[in-house]
Amino acid sequence: MDNKTSKYMLIILTVLCTALIVISSVQTGFMDPLRNTVGYVLVPVQRGVNAVGTGIYNKLEEHAELKNAYAENAELKDRISTLTEENNRLRSETEELQRLREMYELDNEYMQYTKVAARVIAKDSENWFEVFRIDKGSSDGIEPDMNVLSGGGLCGIVTEVGANYATVRSIIDDESRVSAMSQHSSDSCIVAGDLKLFEDGRLALTKIDKDANISDGDAIVTSNISAKFLPGILIGYASDITIDSRHLTKSGNLIPVADFDNLQEVFVITELKTDMLTDSETPEAQ
Amino acid sequence: MNRHIKLLLQRALINILILLGAFTVQTCVFPLLPMFSAVPNLLLILTFSFGFIYGRKTGMLCGLAAGVLMDLFYTGPFGFYCLIFLYIGFFNGIFNKYYYNDFIQLPLILCAVNELIYNFYIYVLRFLVRGKLDIGYYFMNIVLPEMVFSLIFTLFLYRVFLGANKRLDVIEDKRGTNVA
Repeated sequence: MDNKTSKYMLIILTVLCTALIVISSVQTGFMDPLRNTVGYVLVPVQRGVNAVGTGIYNKLEEHAELKNAYAENAELKDRISTLTEENNRLRSETEELQRLREMYELDNEYMQYTKVAARVIAKDSENWFEVFRIDKGSSDGIEPDMNVLSGGGLCGIVTEVGANYATVRSIIDDESRVSAMSQHSSDSCIVAGDLKLFEDGRLALTKIDKDANISDGDAIVTSNISAKFLPGILIGYASDITIDSRHLTKSGNLIPVADFDNLQEVFVITELKTDMLTDSETPEAQ
Repeated sequence: MNRHIKLLLQRALINILILLGAFTVQTCVFPLLPMFSAVPNLLLILTFSFGFIYGRKTGMLCGLAAGVLMDLFYTGPFGFYCLIFLYIGFFNGIFNKYYYNDFIQLPLILCAVNELIYNFYIYVLRFLVRGKLDIGYYFMNIVLPEMVFSLIFTLFLYRVFLGANKRLDVIEDKRGTNVA
């Protein structure tokens, strides 16, 4: 008797879940009201627990760092002298750069984007995915597809927004694809997250034309033709570029600028590419 | 009858609180700890323990609740996690008849098997469909570490659940005799 009811329950719930999967795949915003309501309850809890956890973690970190501080101090003093020298050289080069920029009217655009700072309050517990949640949502002006920065480089994209939280898929997630280009030659490529490569702190750099002028060490930025990413945001530096076996394309690795191991605070750019976009979309990459 | 319902509600409430606690710890605390190369899957441990200790129905309900939490947290089709947690709760409930209080080997075996099934489900539906074929690599680097951590946590947590269960039984028995 009890066996039977539990079997019926299983069948009914299975059908229900499958139906939900189908409906929410077709109509993506379907469950948003529920997600939002639960967010109201759960996000403050997550924020609190995260604050305590981060506090303890930082204390421990501080303690460990103090031990290394002495050795590091001596080493750093050495480096100061080298760096001062280098600084002088660079300063003169910066002036030159400034002049050249003005010449080409290449103002570094993304310095001018308006940004909102947000705290990372929860991370994906699945070791398969690289998704995290931040404590700013639609009430702070966050919308889906907004770009997220960390440590001076592209970090991810907002995929879903609640009233007081937003979910961000970072660019190292295996499903992430970013349309990018080389900063100096403007040759396009795709930056793809790859679970395997990220073990070594890298991303995959694919779909480079075999004649494209991209070589190791080149800065890779978000592309002008991306449908969701704002142009000119630094993603990282190319490395290990090789020609593919079919001799039609090149591919390699990308060393990201953003530090993904210790994400605590990120910046969300509150401008959308779709607002700037007039034409040209890439169907394959975002 | 009324008292029975009250006790049931009380248990349900405690279980929901445990679930929420596990979920919060899993998403907010574990990722902060640098010594954990993988995160143990607390919700999975909870679901199969409940299924194993209390039977199919409770296992299913607990699995459903855990799945809903996961689905609410992640983008993507709603119900993806519900489905797998539901089945894990159900199938572990079948082993309820082999449940003895101090028998820890079976839960450990169940934990390992559940981790395998759960991760295989994610791999096939989210990775294999995109042409990522290197199952060996994913097994060694993602599934295995998670499994090891989950097994360690099962050792602790399963005992805690058992203890809590026994205590609740004792309280309920006491109340029962008092009223009678």
